[in-house]
Amino acid sequence: MTSTSTGSALSDADFERFTEYFYKRTGIHFTSAKRYFVDKRIDTCIRNSSYETFLTWFAALRMADKTDMLQQVINELTVNETYFLREDYQFDAMLSTVLPATLAARGGVSRIVGPVKILSLPCSTGEEPYSIALRLLEEWEQIDHVDVEIHGADIDSEVLAKAAHASYGERSLQRVPKSWVNKYFTAVGAGRYQVDEGIRSAVTLHKMNICDTAAMKAFRDFDVIFCRNVLIYFDELSSRRAAENLYGALRPGGYLFLGHSESMSRISPIFTPTRLPEGIVYQRPTGAK
Amino acid sequence: MGLVRKPASAPPEEAVPEKPSVQTLLQQVHDDDPELRREAALSLVEVTEAVPVLLARVGVETEARVRDAVLTTLAAHDTATVAAGLAVHLASDEASLRTAVAEALATMPGSALDLMPDLLAAPDHDVRVMTAMILADLPHPDAKTWLLRMIADDPHPNVVTGAIDALLPAADAGDAPVLQAAVQRFPDDPFLRFTVQAALPRLTGTA
Repeated sequence: MTSTSTGSALSDADFERFTEYFYKRTGIHFTSAKRYFVDKRIDTCIRNSSYETFLTWFAALRMADKTDMLQQVINELTVNETYFLREDYQFDAMLSTVLPATLAARGGVSRIVGPVKILSLPCSTGEEPYSIALRLLEEWEQIDHVDVEIHGADIDSEVLAKAAHASYGERSLQRVPKSWVNKYFTAVGAGRYQVDEGIRSAVTLHKMNICDTAAMKAFRDFDVIFCRNVLIYFDELSSRRAAENLYGALRPGGYLFLGHSESMSRISPIFTPTRLPEGIVYQRPTGAK
Repeated sequence: MGLVRKPASAPPEEAVPEKPSVQTLLQQVHDDDPELRREAALSLVEVTEAVPVLLARVGVETEARVRDAVLTTLAAHDTATVAAGLAVHLASDEASLRTAVAEALATMPGSALDLMPDLLAAPDHDVRVMTAMILADLPHPDAKTWLLRMIADDPHPNVVTGAIDALLPAADAGDAPVLQAAVQRFPDDPFLRFTVQAALPRLTGTA
């Protein structure tokens, strides 16, 4: 049976064709365990298109270089639910150990050249990069003495638009101290709060596919990268390529944070794992070999 | 000082540097600068004509990070030529090279299994141990079948123990007889016996 926009499931062959295509374009691999999720999202894409069946929709997607169609599928199939200060023990590590070490490695506060650069990839709807900004502003004493650039990147254009708007509901903000909400957010109605312009304008957002080596070359010399809970969606080979690209985006000695259930040791040996009191962080080695 | 936006005068992050030609990249694979070699190797993804150059690089590359980039690009081809070209290094005297190649082959479900008849017949038992490592991570439904074959047939206890270690995450009660038979084949190997005895209660539901 072939899917139609009436909600019927994809055939096994169609599912395989689609997941193979999606993997080649994004590096994201869906196994049959994700079958229901994929079926539902594709059905949504077909319903929102001018095509009536999976076959016609998929043919258009593949044959006509419909980048807007591909982007819509990516937006549907990437998971974006997050919240402020999630897994914030890693932000603790950033403040207590990683940033002091970074400053020391770069000559100290008085001699550092250029900003400290922090990347959130994927940044989803912006909670992570803005959380980093809040923690720095509230808790890092060097913030008045050092320039810090915060960048957020994601493959999903819709979440990036939401990140740029930076308006969040109370559920997303539940871990943010009330005093911080009062200080850095503006109530915009219906239980929603928008990050103030000063912080929004300081976070630079980018559309980026972490597996795209050519595109990722634009990211260079980051001191810290948060890449949490995304590699679990990749197969082994895509994870390796993503790891290589993250390596290239880091300054030698730079730090990489993965999600709490992720381990670089199963992906690639090119990083040096460093155990901090708050957990494992991965470092791009400073030397050769 | 404080939070700053990237200066408008700076090039945007999306401004991807112009990609060098394939010929340039193939030359850069041999450059003195290891970072240039690493980036060139990664940039040669899906370039079929680069395969011979990259395969030749695997054995001579001295920087582990560059070698891993070369292997990442090669593994994406997942062809018999690449698999065979990598497998020769499983017998290397250099442990890091053996391991890196095994990890790359474990990401090649389309071609690595075709190597199994030759690898399981390799006279060097260390090669067969590495083969168990490959099968441990290879995302292919037949990988378990090959591991069971190794456990049942291989004459070297270290190979069998390695295959058992590789099998256990995917093992079930139906595999218990093969494991018990392995203990019988190597009655003087306490490590193998311990490994099986520790695993059996979980597999058979008697833990």
